[in-house]
Amino acid sequence: MLTVKERGQFVATMRYIHVWLMETLAGWVPSTPELEVKLLLGEHVWDAAQQADALGKRTFELRLPLQHSVRPTDAYVDLLADIRAVGPTPQRLAAIYDVLLSAMGARYRRYLSATDTLVDAPTVRIVERELADMARMMEACRALRETLPALQLHDDDWRESLRGREAAIEPVVAYADGAVALEA
Amino acid sequence: MTELVAIGTKVVQGVVVRADPAREPCYEIVHLHHEVPDQGGTSEESRRERLHRETNNEMQSLEVAAICVADFPDAPWELRLELARQCWDEARHTALCDQRFKAIGGRRGQYPIANLDWSVVAMIDSLAGRMAVQHRTFEAGSMEVAQVKIPLWRETDEESAEMFEAIEADEVQHVRFANEWINRLTASEPRTALQIASAVAFLRRVVAATAVIEPHDIATDVAGRQSLGFSSGEIAAVQRQEHELRAFPMRALASERHE
Repeated sequence: MLTVKERGQFVATMRYIHVWLMETLAGWVPSTPELEVKLLLGEHVWDAAQQADALGKRTFELRLPLQHSVRPTDAYVDLLADIRAVGPTPQRLAAIYDVLLSAMGARYRRYLSATDTLVDAPTVRIVERELADMARMMEACRALRETLPALQLHDDDWRESLRGREAAIEPVVAYADGAVALEA
Repeated sequence: MTELVAIGTKVVQGVVVRADPAREPCYEIVHLHHEVPDQGGTSEESRRERLHRETNNEMQSLEVAAICVADFPDAPWELRLELARQCWDEARHTALCDQRFKAIGGRRGQYPIANLDWSVVAMIDSLAGRMAVQHRTFEAGSMEVAQVKIPLWRETDEESAEMFEAIEADEVQHVRFANEWINRLTASEPRTALQIASAVAFLRRVVAATAVIEPHDIATDVAGRQSLGFSSGEIAAVQRQEHELRAFPMRALASERHE
Protein backbone atom coordinates (compact mmCIF):
# COMPACT_ATOMS: atom_id res chain seq x y z
CA MET A 1 0.00 0.00 0.00
CA LEU A 2 1.27 3.48 -0.81
CA THR A 3 1.94 5.64 2.24
CA VAL A 4 0.23 8.97 2.83
CA LYS A 5 3.52 10.67 2.01
CA GLU A 6 3.92 8.78 -1.27
CA ARG A 7 0.37 9.55 -2.29
CA GLY A 8 0.79 13.21 -1.40
CA GLN A 9 4.03 13.42 -3.39
CA PHE A 10 2.39 11.85 -6.43
CA VAL A 11 -0.64 14.15 -6.31
CA ALA A 12 1.52 17.25 -5.79
CA THR A 13 3.83 16.23 -8.64
CA MET A 14 0.92 15.70 -11.01
CA ARG A 15 -0.42 19.09 -9.92
CA TYR A 16 2.91 20.63 -10.97
CA ILE A 17 2.52 19.04 -14.40
CA HIS A 18 -1.07 20.23 -14.82
CA VAL A 19 -0.09 23.79 -13.83
CA TRP A 20 2.76 23.56 -16.33
CA LEU A 21 0.24 22.39 -18.94
CA MET A 22 -2.08 25.31 -18.18
CA GLU A 23 0.77 27.82 -18.47
CA THR A 24 2.21 26.28 -21.61
CA LEU A 25 -1.07 26.11 -23.49
CA ALA A 26 -1.80 29.69 -22.39
CA GLY A 27 1.60 30.87 -23.55
CA TRP A 28 1.07 29.25 -26.94
CA VAL A 29 -2.29 30.97 -27.56
CA PRO A 30 -0.84 34.30 -28.78
CA SER A 31 2.06 32.71 -30.65
CA THR A 32 0.05 30.11 -32.58
CA PRO A 33 -1.38 31.52 -35.82
CA GLU A 34 -4.25 29.15 -36.56
CA LEU A 35 -7.56 30.40 -35.17
CA GLU A 36 -8.99 26.94 -34.54
CA VAL A 37 -5.89 25.92 -32.60
CA LYS A 38 -6.06 29.05 -30.44
CA LEU A 39 -9.62 28.08 -29.56
CA LEU A 40 -8.62 24.51 -28.73
CA LEU A 41 -5.77 25.69 -26.51
CA GLY A 42 -7.96 28.31 -24.84
CA GLU A 43 -10.53 25.71 -23.86
CA HIS A 44 -7.87 23.35 -22.58
CA VAL A 45 -6.21 26.05 -20.48
CA TRP A 46 -9.39 25.93 -18.41
CA ASP A 47 -9.40 22.12 -18.35
CA ALA A 48 -5.82 22.02 -17.12
CA ALA A 49 -6.56 24.66 -14.49
CA GLN A 50 -9.48 22.67 -13.11
CA GLN A 51 -7.40 19.50 -13.07
CA ALA A 52 -4.63 21.27 -11.14
CA ASP A 53 -7.19 22.74 -8.77
CA ALA A 54 -8.72 19.36 -7.94
CA LEU A 55 -5.28 17.91 -7.25
CA GLY A 56 -4.36 20.98 -5.20
CA LYS A 57 -7.35 20.48 -2.94
CA ARG A 58 -6.36 16.85 -2.47
CA THR A 59 -2.79 17.76 -1.43
CA PHE A 60 -4.25 19.47 1.64
CA GLU A 61 -6.06 16.26 2.58
CA LEU A 62 -2.78 14.39 2.28
CA ARG A 63 -1.00 16.52 4.91
CA LEU A 64 0.53 18.96 2.44
CA PRO A 65 -0.37 22.64 1.98
CA LEU A 66 -3.41 23.58 -0.06
CA GLN A 67 -2.65 23.91 -3.79
CA HIS A 68 0.82 22.50 -3.25
CA SER A 69 3.08 21.42 -6.12
CA VAL A 70 6.22 19.31 -6.07
CA ARG A 71 8.76 19.65 -8.85
CA PRO A 72 9.22 16.36 -10.76
CA THR A 73 12.60 14.76 -11.34
CA ASP A 74 15.13 16.78 -13.32
CA ALA A 75 14.78 14.62 -16.42
CA TYR A 76 11.06 15.25 -16.53
CA VAL A 77 11.46 18.99 -15.95
CA ASP A 78 13.95 19.06 -18.83
CA LEU A 79 11.44 17.25 -21.03
CA LEU A 80 8.74 19.78 -20.17
CA ALA A 81 11.10 22.66 -20.93
CA ASP A 82 11.93 21.20 -24.33
CA ILE A 83 8.26 20.75 -25.14
CA ARG A 84 7.47 24.32 -24.16
CA ALA A 85 10.15 25.55 -26.56
CA VAL A 86 8.54 23.83 -29.56
CA GLY A 87 7.45 26.29 -32.28
CA PRO A 88 5.57 24.82 -35.25
CA THR A 89 1.91 24.10 -34.58
CA PRO A 90 1.90 20.44 -35.76
CA GLN A 91 4.77 19.66 -33.37
CA ARG A 92 3.10 21.54 -30.52
CA LEU A 93 -0.09 19.55 -30.97
CA ALA A 94 1.76 16.27 -31.28
CA ALA A 95 3.88 16.94 -28.20
CA ILE A 96 0.88 17.67 -25.99
CA TYR A 97 -1.91 15.55 -27.41
CA ASP A 98 -0.06 12.56 -28.84
CA VAL A 99 2.74 12.28 -26.29
CA LEU A 100 2.29 14.10 -23.00
CA LEU A 101 -1.42 13.63 -22.27
CA SER A 102 -1.25 10.03 -23.36
CA ALA A 103 1.79 9.42 -21.15
CA MET A 104 0.19 11.18 -18.19
CA GLY A 105 -2.79 8.88 -18.65
CA ALA A 106 -0.51 5.86 -18.52
CA ARG A 107 1.14 7.14 -15.34
CA TYR A 108 -2.26 7.75 -13.75
CA ARG A 109 -3.35 4.22 -14.62
CA ARG A 110 -0.22 2.79 -13.04
CA TYR A 111 -0.96 4.80 -9.92
CA LEU A 112 -4.51 3.46 -9.81
CA SER A 113 -3.21 -0.07 -9.97
CA ALA A 114 -0.78 0.60 -7.12
CA THR A 115 -2.92 2.51 -4.66
CA ASP A 116 -5.56 1.15 -2.32
CA THR A 117 -8.87 2.13 -3.87
CA LEU A 118 -10.63 2.33 -0.51
CA VAL A 119 -8.01 4.13 1.54
CA ASP A 120 -7.19 6.47 -1.34
CA ALA A 121 -10.69 6.68 -2.81
CA PRO A 122 -10.76 10.52 -3.03
CA THR A 123 -7.59 10.51 -5.16
CA VAL A 124 -8.96 7.66 -7.27
CA ARG A 125 -12.11 9.65 -7.98
CA ILE A 126 -10.07 12.72 -9.03
CA VAL A 127 -7.80 10.65 -11.25
CA GLU A 128 -10.73 8.90 -12.94
CA ARG A 129 -12.26 12.29 -13.78
CA GLU A 130 -8.95 13.57 -15.09
CA LEU A 131 -8.51 10.51 -17.30
CA ALA A 132 -11.92 11.19 -18.82
CA ASP A 133 -11.05 14.88 -19.27
CA MET A 134 -7.76 14.10 -20.94
CA ALA A 135 -9.40 11.60 -23.28
CA ARG A 136 -11.86 14.34 -24.32
CA MET A 137 -8.99 16.77 -24.89
CA MET A 138 -7.12 14.28 -27.07
CA GLU A 139 -10.26 13.49 -29.04
CA ALA A 140 -10.86 17.20 -29.66
CA CYS A 141 -7.37 17.52 -31.12
CA ARG A 142 -7.78 14.40 -33.23
CA ALA A 143 -11.06 15.76 -34.66
CA LEU A 144 -9.47 19.14 -35.38
CA ARG A 145 -6.57 17.58 -37.25
CA GLU A 146 -8.99 15.49 -39.25
CA THR A 147 -10.79 18.69 -40.27
CA LEU A 148 -7.56 20.62 -40.90
CA PRO A 149 -4.98 18.15 -42.25
CA ALA A 150 -2.30 20.86 -42.37
CA LEU A 151 -2.10 20.48 -38.58
CA GLN A 152 -1.03 16.84 -38.88
CA LEU A 153 2.55 16.04 -38.01
CA HIS A 154 4.08 13.85 -40.70
CA ASP A 155 7.37 13.36 -38.91
CA ASP A 156 6.65 10.13 -37.05
CA ASP A 157 10.27 9.83 -35.95
CA TRP A 158 10.04 13.12 -34.04
CA ARG A 159 6.89 12.02 -32.24
CA GLU A 160 8.24 8.54 -31.45
CA SER A 161 11.49 9.96 -30.18
CA LEU A 162 9.66 12.25 -27.78
CA ARG A 163 7.39 9.41 -26.72
CA GLY A 164 10.39 7.19 -26.02
CA ARG A 165 12.13 9.91 -24.07
CA GLU A 166 9.07 10.40 -21.85
CA ALA A 167 8.60 6.69 -21.28
CA ALA A 168 12.22 6.28 -20.24
CA ILE A 169 11.81 8.72 -17.33
CA GLU A 170 11.04 6.75 -14.21
CA PRO A 171 10.19 7.84 -11.65
CA VAL A 172 8.63 11.22 -12.39
CA VAL A 173 7.98 11.82 -8.73
CA ALA A 174 11.01 13.07 -6.86
CA TYR A 175 10.47 11.02 -3.71
CA ALA A 176 14.02 11.54 -2.50
CA ASP A 177 14.64 13.86 0.41
CA GLY A 178 16.23 16.33 -1.97
CA ALA A 179 12.93 16.92 -3.76
CA VAL A 180 12.21 20.58 -4.32
CA ALA A 181 8.75 21.57 -3.10
CA LEU A 182 7.13 24.53 -4.77
CA GLU A 183 4.04 26.52 -4.02
CA ALA A 184 2.09 27.13 -7.21
CA MET B 1 6.71 38.54 -15.19
CA THR B 2 8.22 35.65 -17.12
CA GLU B 3 9.30 35.62 -20.75
CA LEU B 4 7.18 32.61 -21.66
CA VAL B 5 5.54 34.38 -24.57
CA ALA B 6 8.32 35.44 -26.89
CA ILE B 7 6.54 38.22 -28.73
CA GLY B 8 8.52 41.42 -29.11
CA THR B 9 7.46 45.02 -29.46
CA LYS B 10 6.57 47.42 -32.24
CA VAL B 11 6.29 51.21 -32.51
CA VAL B 12 2.91 52.74 -33.36
CA GLN B 13 2.73 56.50 -33.79
CA GLY B 14 5.88 56.84 -31.71
CA VAL B 15 4.67 54.66 -28.82
CA VAL B 16 6.29 51.29 -28.06
CA VAL B 17 3.62 48.59 -27.72
CA ARG B 18 3.62 44.78 -27.86
CA ALA B 19 4.02 43.33 -31.34
CA ASP B 20 1.02 41.64 -32.92
CA PRO B 21 -0.01 38.14 -31.84
CA ALA B 22 0.28 35.42 -34.48
CA ARG B 23 -2.40 35.45 -37.17
CA GLU B 24 -3.10 33.29 -40.20
CA PRO B 25 -1.65 34.57 -43.49
CA CYS B 26 -5.11 35.40 -44.83
CA TYR B 27 -5.30 38.44 -42.55
CA GLU B 28 -4.06 41.91 -43.41
CA ILE B 29 -2.82 43.51 -40.19
CA VAL B 30 -3.16 47.27 -39.71
CA HIS B 31 -2.05 49.19 -36.64
CA LEU B 32 -4.77 51.70 -35.85
CA HIS B 33 -8.47 51.24 -35.17
CA HIS B 34 -9.53 53.75 -37.80
CA GLU B 35 -7.73 51.70 -40.47
CA VAL B 36 -10.24 48.89 -39.95
CA PRO B 37 -13.22 49.40 -42.28
CA ASP B 38 -16.41 50.50 -40.55
CA GLN B 39 -19.04 51.90 -42.88
CA GLY B 40 -21.73 51.93 -40.14
CA GLY B 41 -25.40 51.27 -40.76
CA THR B 42 -27.12 47.91 -40.84
CA SER B 43 -26.47 46.67 -44.37
CA GLU B 44 -25.29 43.11 -44.87
CA GLU B 45 -21.82 44.35 -45.75
CA SER B 46 -21.72 46.49 -42.61
CA ARG B 47 -22.76 43.53 -40.46
CA ARG B 48 -20.03 41.39 -42.02
CA GLU B 49 -17.46 44.07 -41.25
CA ARG B 50 -18.57 44.23 -37.64
CA LEU B 51 -18.63 40.47 -37.14
CA HIS B 52 -15.19 40.17 -38.70
CA ARG B 53 -13.91 42.86 -36.36
CA GLU B 54 -15.69 41.30 -33.38
CA THR B 55 -14.15 37.89 -34.09
CA ASN B 56 -10.71 39.46 -33.88
CA ASN B 57 -11.66 41.42 -30.76
CA GLU B 58 -12.73 38.25 -28.98
CA MET B 59 -9.56 36.53 -30.14
CA GLN B 60 -7.54 39.37 -28.60
CA SER B 61 -9.48 38.97 -25.34
CA LEU B 62 -8.56 35.28 -25.38
CA GLU B 63 -4.93 36.15 -26.03
CA VAL B 64 -4.84 38.75 -23.25
CA ALA B 65 -6.37 36.37 -20.69
CA ALA B 66 -3.99 33.64 -21.80
CA ILE B 67 -0.87 35.78 -21.58
CA CYS B 68 -1.94 36.86 -18.09
CA VAL B 69 -2.05 33.18 -17.07
CA ALA B 70 1.36 32.59 -18.63
CA ASP B 71 3.10 35.76 -17.47
CA PHE B 72 2.18 35.78 -13.78
CA PRO B 73 2.88 32.37 -12.21
CA ASP B 74 3.00 33.95 -8.74
CA ALA B 75 -0.48 35.46 -8.90
CA PRO B 76 -2.99 34.05 -6.38
CA TRP B 77 -4.24 30.68 -7.53
CA GLU B 78 -7.91 31.69 -7.35
CA LEU B 79 -7.22 34.63 -9.66
CA ARG B 80 -5.37 32.39 -12.10
CA LEU B 81 -8.41 30.13 -12.12
CA GLU B 82 -10.63 33.06 -13.08
CA LEU B 83 -8.29 33.99 -15.93
CA ALA B 84 -8.14 30.38 -17.12
CA ARG B 85 -11.93 30.22 -17.17
CA GLN B 86 -11.94 33.48 -19.13
CA CYS B 87 -9.73 31.82 -21.74
CA TRP B 88 -12.45 29.27 -22.38
CA ASP B 89 -15.18 31.93 -22.47
CA GLU B 90 -13.32 34.08 -24.96
CA ALA B 91 -12.50 31.05 -27.10
CA ARG B 92 -16.22 30.24 -27.27
CA HIS B 93 -17.03 33.87 -28.11
CA THR B 94 -14.49 33.85 -30.92
CA ALA B 95 -15.99 30.65 -32.31
CA LEU B 96 -19.51 32.08 -32.11
CA CYS B 97 -18.58 35.28 -33.94
CA ASP B 98 -16.59 33.39 -36.57
CA GLN B 99 -19.49 31.01 -37.22
CA ARG B 100 -21.99 33.86 -37.45
CA PHE B 101 -19.68 35.81 -39.76
CA LYS B 102 -19.42 32.84 -42.09
CA ALA B 103 -23.17 32.23 -41.88
CA ILE B 104 -23.86 35.66 -43.41
CA GLY B 105 -21.41 35.09 -46.22
CA GLY B 106 -18.14 36.31 -44.75
CA ARG B 107 -14.69 35.02 -45.62
CA ARG B 108 -11.94 35.05 -43.01
CA GLY B 109 -9.44 37.78 -43.87
CA GLN B 110 -11.99 39.70 -45.91
CA TYR B 111 -11.15 42.95 -44.09
CA PRO B 112 -8.04 44.31 -42.38
CA ILE B 113 -7.75 43.78 -38.63
CA ALA B 114 -6.00 45.71 -35.85
CA ASN B 115 -4.68 44.23 -32.61
CA LEU B 116 -4.20 47.42 -30.65
CA ASP B 117 -6.01 46.15 -27.54
CA TRP B 118 -3.53 43.28 -27.27
CA SER B 119 -0.62 45.55 -28.07
CA VAL B 120 -1.53 47.92 -25.23
CA VAL B 121 -2.49 45.40 -22.54
CA ALA B 122 0.29 42.91 -23.17
CA MET B 123 2.82 45.73 -22.82
CA ILE B 124 1.77 46.42 -19.22
CA ASP B 125 4.06 44.68 -16.75
CA SER B 126 1.66 44.16 -13.81
CA LEU B 127 -1.40 41.94 -13.62
CA ALA B 128 -3.39 44.57 -11.74
CA GLY B 129 -2.52 47.10 -14.43
CA ARG B 130 -3.60 44.74 -17.18
CA MET B 131 -6.92 44.08 -15.46
CA ALA B 132 -7.47 47.81 -14.93
CA VAL B 133 -7.11 48.41 -18.67
CA GLN B 134 -8.51 45.21 -20.19
CA HIS B 135 -11.37 44.40 -17.83
CA ARG B 136 -12.28 47.66 -16.15
CA THR B 137 -11.76 49.96 -19.13
CA PHE B 138 -12.12 47.98 -22.35
CA GLU B 139 -14.61 45.30 -21.31
CA ALA B 140 -16.72 47.45 -19.00
CA GLY B 141 -16.84 50.20 -21.63
CA SER B 142 -17.77 47.75 -24.35
CA MET B 143 -20.67 46.47 -22.27
CA GLU B 144 -22.17 49.95 -22.20
CA VAL B 145 -21.74 50.18 -25.95
CA ALA B 146 -23.45 46.80 -26.31
CA GLN B 147 -26.52 48.09 -24.49
CA VAL B 148 -26.94 50.59 -27.31
CA LYS B 149 -25.83 48.41 -30.21
CA ILE B 150 -27.68 45.16 -29.54
CA PRO B 151 -31.14 46.70 -30.17
CA LEU B 152 -29.80 47.98 -33.51
CA TRP B 153 -28.63 44.46 -34.41
CA ARG B 154 -32.05 43.16 -33.48
CA GLU B 155 -33.68 45.35 -36.14
CA THR B 156 -32.00 43.43 -38.96
CA ASP B 157 -30.30 40.35 -37.53
CA GLU B 158 -32.03 38.70 -34.59
CA GLU B 159 -29.59 35.78 -34.50
CA SER B 160 -26.54 37.99 -34.13
CA ALA B 161 -28.33 40.09 -31.50
CA GLU B 162 -29.01 36.98 -29.42
CA MET B 163 -25.41 35.90 -29.80
CA PHE B 164 -24.15 39.26 -28.52
CA GLU B 165 -26.58 39.11 -25.58
CA ALA B 166 -25.12 35.74 -24.61
CA ILE B 167 -21.56 37.03 -24.94
CA GLU B 168 -22.26 40.10 -22.83
CA ALA B 169 -23.72 37.90 -20.09
CA ASP B 170 -20.36 36.11 -19.87
CA GLU B 171 -18.40 39.36 -19.92
CA VAL B 172 -20.18 40.55 -16.76
CA GLN B 173 -18.36 37.93 -14.74
CA HIS B 174 -15.00 38.93 -16.19
CA VAL B 175 -15.42 42.55 -15.12
CA ARG B 176 -16.70 41.48 -11.71
CA PHE B 177 -13.76 39.23 -10.92
CA ALA B 178 -11.30 41.88 -12.07
CA ASN B 179 -12.92 44.48 -9.83
CA GLU B 180 -12.93 42.10 -6.90
CA TRP B 181 -9.28 41.17 -7.36
CA ILE B 182 -8.09 44.71 -7.99
CA ASN B 183 -9.68 45.69 -4.68
CA ARG B 184 -8.15 42.72 -2.87
CA LEU B 185 -4.71 43.26 -4.35
CA THR B 186 -4.79 46.98 -3.63
CA ALA B 187 -5.81 46.33 -0.02
CA SER B 188 -3.06 43.79 0.53
CA GLU B 189 -0.31 45.49 -1.45
CA PRO B 190 -0.40 49.31 -1.64
CA ARG B 191 1.97 49.48 -4.61
CA THR B 192 -0.83 47.93 -6.68
CA ALA B 193 -2.40 51.40 -6.85
CA LEU B 194 0.79 52.72 -8.44
CA GLN B 195 0.82 49.86 -10.94
CA ILE B 196 -2.74 50.69 -11.93
CA ALA B 197 -1.97 54.39 -12.25
CA SER B 198 1.02 53.58 -14.42
CA ALA B 199 -1.05 51.29 -16.66
CA VAL B 200 -3.80 53.88 -17.11
CA ALA B 201 -1.20 56.54 -17.86
CA PHE B 202 0.26 54.26 -20.53
CA LEU B 203 -3.20 53.76 -22.04
CA ARG B 204 -3.65 57.52 -22.15
CA ARG B 205 -0.35 57.91 -23.98
CA VAL B 206 -1.35 55.32 -26.56
CA VAL B 207 -4.77 56.88 -27.09
CA ALA B 208 -3.31 60.35 -27.37
CA ALA B 209 -0.96 59.08 -30.06
CA THR B 210 -3.33 56.87 -32.00
CA ALA B 211 -6.95 58.00 -31.60
CA VAL B 212 -8.28 60.10 -34.43
CA ILE B 213 -11.90 59.24 -33.80
CA GLU B 214 -14.57 61.30 -32.14
CA PRO B 215 -15.75 60.10 -28.74
CA HIS B 216 -18.97 58.12 -28.77
CA ASP B 217 -21.94 59.73 -27.12
CA ILE B 218 -22.74 56.88 -24.72
CA ALA B 219 -23.48 57.76 -21.11
CA THR B 220 -22.16 55.72 -18.21
CA ASP B 221 -24.67 53.06 -17.16
CA VAL B 222 -24.64 53.66 -13.41
CA ALA B 223 -26.82 50.67 -12.48
CA GLY B 224 -24.88 48.43 -14.84
CA ARG B 225 -21.54 49.54 -13.37
CA GLN B 226 -22.83 48.86 -9.86
CA SER B 227 -23.76 45.32 -10.89
CA LEU B 228 -20.21 44.86 -12.17
CA GLY B 229 -18.71 45.65 -8.77
CA PHE B 230 -17.70 49.29 -9.33
CA SER B 231 -17.98 51.44 -6.19
CA SER B 232 -19.92 54.72 -6.26
CA GLY B 233 -16.61 56.59 -6.18
CA GLU B 234 -15.31 54.64 -9.16
CA ILE B 235 -18.51 55.27 -11.12
CA ALA B 236 -18.22 58.99 -10.38
CA ALA B 237 -14.67 58.87 -11.67
CA VAL B 238 -15.83 57.24 -14.91
CA GLN B 239 -18.47 59.95 -15.29
CA ARG B 240 -15.82 62.63 -14.79
CA GLN B 241 -13.78 60.96 -17.49
CA GLU B 242 -16.71 61.36 -19.86
CA HIS B 243 -16.35 65.11 -19.60
CA GLU B 244 -12.63 64.85 -20.16
CA LEU B 245 -13.30 62.79 -23.26
CA ARG B 246 -14.43 65.89 -25.06
CA ALA B 247 -10.83 66.92 -25.02
CA PHE B 248 -9.24 63.52 -24.65
CA PRO B 249 -11.02 60.47 -26.07
CA MET B 250 -9.81 57.66 -23.83
CA ARG B 251 -13.16 55.94 -23.56
CA ALA B 252 -13.54 56.15 -27.30
CA LEU B 253 -10.90 53.46 -27.63
CA ALA B 254 -12.81 51.20 -25.28
CA SER B 255 -16.12 51.97 -26.95
CA GLU B 256 -14.91 51.29 -30.43
CA ARG B 257 -13.41 48.00 -29.47
CA HIS B 258 -16.58 45.94 -29.15
CA GLU B 259 -18.88 48.02 -31.24
